[in-house]
Amino acid sequence: MGVILSNVIAIYRRELQSYFVSPLAYAIAGIFWFLAGLFLVLILMGPDGILTAVAAADLQGQQFGVPVPPIDVPYEFVRAFLDRLGWLLLFVLPILSMGLYAEERKRGTLELLATSPVTNWAVAVGKLLGVLTFFITMVVPLLALEAIALSGSTPAMPPIIPLLGHLALILLAAAILSLGMFISSLTDSTILAAVLTFAVILLLLFIDLVAKNVSGPIGEALGHLSLLKHYNNLIQGIFDTSSLVLFGSYIILGIFLTAQSIDALRFQRQ
Amino acid sequence: MKIIAKNKTWNYLLFWIGQSLVVAGLITGLITDQWGAIPLALIISGILIIGLWLVGKSRYSSWWGRRSTQASTNALVATVAVLAILGLINFLATRYYFRADLTETQLFTLAPESKQLVQNLQQPVKVWVFDVAQNPQDRELLDNYRQQNPQFQFEFVDPQTRFAVAEKFGVKDYGEVYLQSGNRRQLVQTVNVSDRLSEVKLTNSLQQIVNPTSAKVYFLQGHGERPLDGSENGMSQAVEALGNKNYTTAPLNLAEKSSVPSDANVLVIADPKRGLLDSEVTAVQNYLNRGGNLLLMLDPGTDPKLDNLLSQWGVKLDNRLAVDVSGSVAFGPAVPIVTDYGQHPITKDFGNGISFYRLARPIYTTPVPGVEATPILLTKAYPNTWAESDLQNENLQFDKESDRQGPLTLGVALKRKLPVESPSPSSTATESRMVIIGDSDFATNGSFLQQLNGDVFLNSVSWATQQNQQTLSIRPKESKNRRINLTNLQAGVIGFSSLLVLPLIGFAAAFVLWWLRR
Repeated sequence: MGVILSNVIAIYRRELQSYFVSPLAYAIAGIFWFLAGLFLVLILMGPDGILTAVAAADLQGQQFGVPVPPIDVPYEFVRAFLDRLGWLLLFVLPILSMGLYAEERKRGTLELLATSPVTNWAVAVGKLLGVLTFFITMVVPLLALEAIALSGSTPAMPPIIPLLGHLALILLAAAILSLGMFISSLTDSTILAAVLTFAVILLLLFIDLVAKNVSGPIGEALGHLSLLKHYNNLIQGIFDTSSLVLFGSYIILGIFLTAQSIDALRFQRQ
Repeated sequence: MKIIAKNKTWNYLLFWIGQSLVVAGLITGLITDQWGAIPLALIISGILIIGLWLVGKSRYSSWWGRRSTQASTNALVATVAVLAILGLINFLATRYYFRADLTETQLFTLAPESKQLVQNLQQPVKVWVFDVAQNPQDRELLDNYRQQNPQFQFEFVDPQTRFAVAEKFGVKDYGEVYLQSGNRRQLVQTVNVSDRLSEVKLTNSLQQIVNPTSAKVYFLQGHGERPLDGSENGMSQAVEALGNKNYTTAPLNLAEKSSVPSDANVLVIADPKRGLLDSEVTAVQNYLNRGGNLLLMLDPGTDPKLDNLLSQWGVKLDNRLAVDVSGSVAFGPAVPIVTDYGQHPITKDFGNGISFYRLARPIYTTPVPGVEATPILLTKAYPNTWAESDLQNENLQFDKESDRQGPLTLGVALKRKLPVESPSPSSTATESRMVIIGDSDFATNGSFLQQLNGDVFLNSVSWATQQNQQTLSIRPKESKNRRINLTNLQAGVIGFSSLLVLPLIGFAAAFVLWWLRR
């Protein structure tokens, strides 16, 4: 067990180091930060932003003496921001996951990995942890900005809902990255991997729409597969174990399929 | 050799039979949407036969023994197994879950009243939402209900594509939500962009459809009131219409009983020709004081001896006759026509419809603390209508001295808050309601079925029962009121760092690394 763990850590470190010296990774981070920052500013302070809208409503209420219905501004802000961020992941994560195995295959180092004494799933876990850590690093500065915004809320907001929302964001990212990793292990073209991952995630996000038009237990089962539905549940502040189990299942499925596909490589080349 | 060839055909046959059975089972299941014994039996037997085929094949060829076959079969079996395990885990996770609403005001949790009501549902109840689009918020709420009890179901129906269903419910507009239980159907509300499905309304409708309370309406008798039979002056049509609306009706003679029965929701006093006895007035008074409701229909020319009681409500009866000379050929001057119904729940759907009141008396109200009076039937303005005192004169003429100018009020709806210090032990009523109409002819046989006359009567009774109000007091879900007040510095830091600093760090690092690698 200790050996496997140290193997995982070794792969994890190697993977992480490669991110922090890769210009592509920094460029992706720059784009991600810019888009996420744009969303944040627009949602919070933009012309149609939540602060502007609420200020206008308050002013109107004062003028006409009509009571303004209660609005939880920080809650709505966190929810709207995480919602947009979820959509942003759709575009950013396939780019992060596309090179995980496809790059190795292109460079010819995949055979080394496949035949090394490190088990395939340990490699997959290490790689997934690496890319997930990189993603979390990208999210942390945004978290700091949100914290500044939320520090201005009166009365103060308890941190449980933002925390749950960001946990959901990381779980969603892990699930998408895990599936992206599997797709990346199937091909040696990084572009193809990214496009395929994009398509699969889009399908998993939108399966909810299909499920709504199918009645009965099949529709329910399809609806349960939707990543978006569970993500929305969690960022609204509904803690549901079945949502966590679903995210976990996607992560495990991705890792397992990656290991299987690398395993199959050994026999294809015989 | 021959045996092998025979076995081969036999094998192929097995393979095809197995496949066809599996496909047949799947199709049967999908089409009927019921995964009962037949589709499952087909699928399982198909899989078994394919298994047999595999065993047979493995005996006659070395294909089974090849390493690549073994590996890929292992991979396939493992993948299928993992998928099955994950599916099972998720299935169990949806059945046995822990769910917590972490929002401060429990925005996504049903009120305990709703939960209890839904959990106690004995027979299926279905909510039909007739709308083009499915609102996720409404769906979420309905999902919440369904999680409490599988007897609760809901369906979104697009009235354009499934107009047969919409027709059955009599859908008039998009966004109508109906509740169905057995044969009973009830409109819950009409949802639109600003008015989403509300738990308060849904739970109250649910309560009404599950426990249809049959209100009891008593008709006072014994003083020459309108009889309940089918005679010309009777009210059998009104009684029948009440019965259709699930009301129970019964005559009441207060000379025999000393008080109004406790199960009375409304007491109707329709045109007593002789005055009530003092004890009877006291009985009515006591009934009102404990939250009772009264519908009075009093023609002019009679004195029911209720003046003391009515003065407490600020009501004064006029003994003059309301005349309407607006030129209606069909009715004549003694039949005032009402097209103005004010603003009240009883008359809110009437628009400019017509109702008429042969030989009616006007009613006046003076404000009394604790009593809320709303006129519901208003005649046209003078010179079309006035209250005529001289009934002997052949010529109808307005007399400044003794007559009163229109518009006249022929009907008033009143409600009075019950004093807090006299709590009634049996009922939970907080107010007492009264509808007074200066005519009884409009609700008798014949007139009842014409124009809006019947609706005036039925809606008055229905309002007076106090049952249209929401029985369960569920507070609507409101989020906590909270604002973000950013100082200029904070806003500047957020805007500056998110739009400029952070992206620049990323791009600069990328550029430097690229430069170094080059």
